[in-house]
Amino acid sequence: MKRGTRKIETQLAVIGTGIAGFAASIFARQRGLDVAQFGHSGAMAYTTGYLDLLGVHDRRVRQDPWAALDELRQDEPLHPMSGLSNTSIRAAFDGFTDALGEMGIGYTKAGDRNLSGLLPNGLAKPTFSVPDTMLPGITALESGARTLVVDFEGLQGFSAKAFEVNFRDRWPALRSARLTFPGMENRQVFPEVLARSLETSVTQQALAELIRPLLNGVEYVGLPAILGMHMPDEVRARMEEIIGVRLFEIPTIPPAVPGIRLRETFERSFPEMGVKLEPQLKVAEVDFRSSGATLHLHGPMEDLEVEASAVLLATGRFLSGGLKSDQESLSETLLDLPISQPQDRDEWFRQEYLDPRGHPINRLGVEVDGRFQPVAADGAPIHERLFAAGAILAHQDWVRQRCGAGLAIATAHAATEAAAAALG
Amino acid sequence: MSVRTYEADVLVIGGGATGSGVMRDLALRGINCILIDRKDLNAGASGGNHGLLHSGGRYATADAETAAECRHEGDILKRLAPECIDDCGGLFVAVVGDDEAFAAKFPEHCRVAGIPCEALSAAEAREREPALPEAILAAYAVPDATIDPFRIVLENVGHAERLNDSSYLPHMEIEGFEIIDGTVAKALCRDRRSGAAVEIRARQFVNASGAWAEKVARLAGCSDVSLLYSKGTLLISNTRVTNGVVNRLRLPDDGDILVPGGTVSLLGTSSVTVDDPDGIAPTVPEVDRILAEGAAMLPVLNETRFVRAFSGVRPLLKSAGSEADGRKANRGFALFDHEDQGLSNFATVAGGKFTTFRLMAEKAGDLVAARLGNAEPCKTNLEPLPSGDALRWTEPGAAARDWYKRADPTDMVLCECEMVARSAVDTILADAPGAEDHMSLKAIALRSRIGKGACQGAFCSMRVTSHLYDRGVYDSPDGLRQMRDFVNERYKGIRPVLWGAQMPQTELAEILHCGLAGMDLAAAEEGADSK
Amino acid sequence: MGAHSGGNTLDFLKVANDLLPDGASYDACVGCGICASGCPASGLFGMDPRRFINMAMLGMNEELSTTPWVWACTQCKRCAYLCPMGIDVSQLVGAARGAWATEDKPKGIVRSCAAQKLDESTSAMGLMSEDFVEIVEETLEELHENQPRFADLKVPIDKKGAKFVINQNSREPAVEPEEMAPLWKILDYVGADWTYSSKGWAAENFCMFTGDLDSWKEMVTTRVDAMNALESEIWINTECGHSFFTIWQGIEKFGLTANFEAESLVTYYAQWIREGKLPVNSDWNKNNVKFTVQDPCQLVRKSIGDQAAEDLRFVVKTLVGEENFVDMQPCRSANYCCGGGGGFLQAGMASERRAYGKRKFDQVIATEADYVLTPCHNCHSQIEDVGDHFGGAYTVTHLWTLICLSLGILGPDERKYLGPDLADINLPEEE
Repeated sequence: MKRGTRKIETQLAVIGTGIAGFAASIFARQRGLDVAQFGHSGAMAYTTGYLDLLGVHDRRVRQDPWAALDELRQDEPLHPMSGLSNTSIRAAFDGFTDALGEMGIGYTKAGDRNLSGLLPNGLAKPTFSVPDTMLPGITALESGARTLVVDFEGLQGFSAKAFEVNFRDRWPALRSARLTFPGMENRQVFPEVLARSLETSVTQQALAELIRPLLNGVEYVGLPAILGMHMPDEVRARMEEIIGVRLFEIPTIPPAVPGIRLRETFERSFPEMGVKLEPQLKVAEVDFRSSGATLHLHGPMEDLEVEASAVLLATGRFLSGGLKSDQESLSETLLDLPISQPQDRDEWFRQEYLDPRGHPINRLGVEVDGRFQPVAADGAPIHERLFAAGAILAHQDWVRQRCGAGLAIATAHAATEAAAAALG
Repeated sequence: MSVRTYEADVLVIGGGATGSGVMRDLALRGINCILIDRKDLNAGASGGNHGLLHSGGRYATADAETAAECRHEGDILKRLAPECIDDCGGLFVAVVGDDEAFAAKFPEHCRVAGIPCEALSAAEAREREPALPEAILAAYAVPDATIDPFRIVLENVGHAERLNDSSYLPHMEIEGFEIIDGTVAKALCRDRRSGAAVEIRARQFVNASGAWAEKVARLAGCSDVSLLYSKGTLLISNTRVTNGVVNRLRLPDDGDILVPGGTVSLLGTSSVTVDDPDGIAPTVPEVDRILAEGAAMLPVLNETRFVRAFSGVRPLLKSAGSEADGRKANRGFALFDHEDQGLSNFATVAGGKFTTFRLMAEKAGDLVAARLGNAEPCKTNLEPLPSGDALRWTEPGAAARDWYKRADPTDMVLCECEMVARSAVDTILADAPGAEDHMSLKAIALRSRIGKGACQGAFCSMRVTSHLYDRGVYDSPDGLRQMRDFVNERYKGIRPVLWGAQMPQTELAEILHCGLAGMDLAAAEEGADSK
Repeated sequence: MGAHSGGNTLDFLKVANDLLPDGASYDACVGCGICASGCPASGLFGMDPRRFINMAMLGMNEELSTTPWVWACTQCKRCAYLCPMGIDVSQLVGAARGAWATEDKPKGIVRSCAAQKLDESTSAMGLMSEDFVEIVEETLEELHENQPRFADLKVPIDKKGAKFVINQNSREPAVEPEEMAPLWKILDYVGADWTYSSKGWAAENFCMFTGDLDSWKEMVTTRVDAMNALESEIWINTECGHSFFTIWQGIEKFGLTANFEAESLVTYYAQWIREGKLPVNSDWNKNNVKFTVQDPCQLVRKSIGDQAAEDLRFVVKTLVGEENFVDMQPCRSANYCCGGGGGFLQAGMASERRAYGKRKFDQVIATEADYVLTPCHNCHSQIEDVGDHFGGAYTVTHLWTLICLSLGILGPDERKYLGPDLADINLPEEE
């Protein structure tokens, strides 16, 4: 027994709940637009928490993302970030991380250089902006500081030992230890569970007591990313005070805290920001008309009909359901937007998995014009009020290029700017 | 630098079904062996097949002799190695468009080969296999079964090791033989991981290297082994599609058999003659053709999630008319004593089927025992094959059931898809054949179900690697390189089935492997170093 | 409780296939474990949602048909909420429950379902229709006597054509009838045209929890027939989670005809406040007592969605003051089940239930709230129990208690669920 259909109106309907979708809602609100956002939880839970801008170009790791962007514009003029100026990309980044800061997760400001984000297996990756909880680890690596990395019995896929062994050459003053997390004896544990437990002062105290005897003169202690879910900076500060050394977080394999933290932060803050967020509902259908579109969503008990003056599509790729494929071809799932692609499936993927050129399929996606409007083969916008942003866009390989957040944030910024202009 | 040397009564070359079978056969006669493989166990056709324990029905029409051999050997294995076998039964089914006259002759051909064959109505066939289509022209039940080719080889080796300290050395490649007066004195090998030269002295040498038997024979100066290489490709589904084996009732062609593999199903098999047994991989066109053919027999395959494809090379004995079409080649085997090649202590056993490996090993064992003056008869047709704690993890679902039954909350599951626990991995590290040597992620995966589930190693590669660092098995960045090699290898089989549900899976894998583990950058860096 | 011997072994892949497309293809699982990470039942009996799917894939039908975990999973659907593929393990769990032999199922749930089937009253505590009517009348009489201000208050039963039919959780008439009064007062205050139904009045459905679809259907049919007969426009579900889900979902699932709309009392609290019919405020909360809310899964995530969470917050913030409200994190549709749902509370698995509830306990403690408000009886009992067990100093209370407190109409014997800090606040003037 359904309760029928609830109807709402909005200026901009953002479809998708990844970084691009959330960033688009933030930017649209900053522009004073009335915003509603929809989508299933999607793929954001798989992020490390690092925000990349452009870490790899022409198969080389880049220290200067801005210079790399200049090269990108030359070498890959169709890349979605190539049409955007460094100034607007920087503004987008700052706008996004400032908003995150206000919501309670501190991030480093957009700088001039990439940072070496620590990875759980004892490698580093070029990234651009990192959570404040992760920054001290980067400093510790750079200075070779005496550091202890701790892992936990029952926590899968995070080995402090592996971290130590693989960093040994660059970071000789690194040590590792294993602890049993307070109250989590003899069981498999997920980082999320540890993080939630660390929201209470009892657990903070108990864990600190376990760490303290191991310090032996270290300046830093590294932990898998578990320092609370909703107020990580506060949890870190409290723990640092009890333990007496700097603490930092290291990303873990999914399901990991940093992504869940971001998603829950947006879910918590958006209603206060005035964004109508329905993170559980997938848009089933969109009917376009000249002045906007009607979106149809199906809830468990209640359907939702949204009258929107403009639509921003940020549904991502296969994992988050923006694209799908059968044996023959790729397609866009919601609007069946055209995707130019090779005839043969054989050309989707290269023979070698880790081929540094990346797989051709990663560069297939939705084609847009300079206003981030999806276009037909003739280059004309498909709908006057349709915009797109993020990983669904063609001509990028965000995983290999280390530009996921940059792509999401910069294109969401530009697409909302264009949408706002269209809405007058 | 001194050369590492080993010595045994017999050196067996080739860690597949035949080589491991020879090793056990000889050990049961009290003869001490060293078994070597250029890679690891089942690296060739023994690991690249559908695991069908033939009733013989498949060959009943074209090759009655092989059919009867299969029937006989299948019965022995069912009796002596039941834990390796799923006696699930099989059907031969003709669907619309198939040759009804061919189908009609099938029972008679089975009778001649001594294969029980029961005619079923379409309704009876669908009762056994609900996935069959409505329109069935003919259906016959035969005693097909399936065998876990990894487990039986592990058990062969494990048993031989326990019997008389026979030993197994993986990653040991033959580079040549030292031959003195028509007698092979030693094999000149190289440890492919360390690069070190190794010499193995033995009184007898058995070449059981499958598709590489011709090459190895040539290293010993023998030109009498002549093989035809027939590449076969198969697809693996995410779940088990049918209860038993389903064969298409027609002359063998692509996509005409679906074989349960415990918790999954294997669809095959193509047959393409290739020049070289090395460097083969399944291709997109092969996969598409196999699937199109398979779906004609079982339409449900169009909706089935496939997680991987793989290829093996059948080492077939060359005979007249077989050059053009591997399917027409004799599936029998041959034992070469090489005496006409001027060698007195070298033998090659080649050709044959997985189902008949025991018989091949028996014949080779008879020759070697006689040459050594050992009068013990073959016992592999009487002696049950014992299992062991470190040998039983390749069976799909075994690790999961074992873990669930033990209900030990401190025993972490490392591979979630197949539910392989830390304790299972530790058993393999401690006791599985090859354990005395360095045991990598890949070696553990070969001896278990790690990396074989839906995620194809995306998660468990990282989790098992972490565990191996924790255990001190890895103590250098080499562990990360091993992980990269492993996922690279898995990808070769994933690539041709990348569509549908495998697309998000692979996107997630790339996010993990490149974004979180930096494998692409590390690979590029190492590539640059080596240039 | 251990694995059972009787019952049927289900083919879970077939069950999954039959549930399509609703349950989403279990075959689409990418194995990421986000479901298991976010599930408080993970680790109990060695199971978690991802393992349930994987074991189905591996054909471990016997294990899945016998694992007691299906009674520890509260079917809260948080896994489905989180899964990028939308896979809903709770539906497989429901099928597994149904396949257990009745004698092996948790006795508390089975007994309650059996009690519900005794009589058209559908009460899990075995209250017959006439008992209910009698208790209501007696309680009303006492109210008239003890609180003269409400001497004219009416509690209609079986009033045909009333705008609202309201159900009543059995716990109140059976154990604490005085707890019915606050709700009556609210309905009286807003001048609602309402009635109880003597048939199908009970706000619980343990038959759904048993996994026995026929019994679930029987329960819902009795209630729908009773409501249809009363020709009311709207059925309002009281402060209870699952009894709301069971009705509308049952009507959908079994294709029943209902001539009324299903609504939650929370929706009406919010509406009446917005309309000025319930002029509540937080003036009474001068000591800034802190409150948090528990979003019942059955009402929010599984039924109305965030709209219900929004209404709930509006009501509570108005009642206690915006500054005295602290949300648990996560909340709304992403909220954790407390562990009282799905029949877990009545399944006789206390240690597992409390291990499950530890996460909710930590969440509550992290808010540092003095009170937990929740419009669900199972949430209420479970959060209270884990608070006692793990040593939390908070109190769990009903919305109706606070509404009446704010309005100054909460009688002295209606304060059972208030702590000493609020026991004497806003007592009605003696008349």
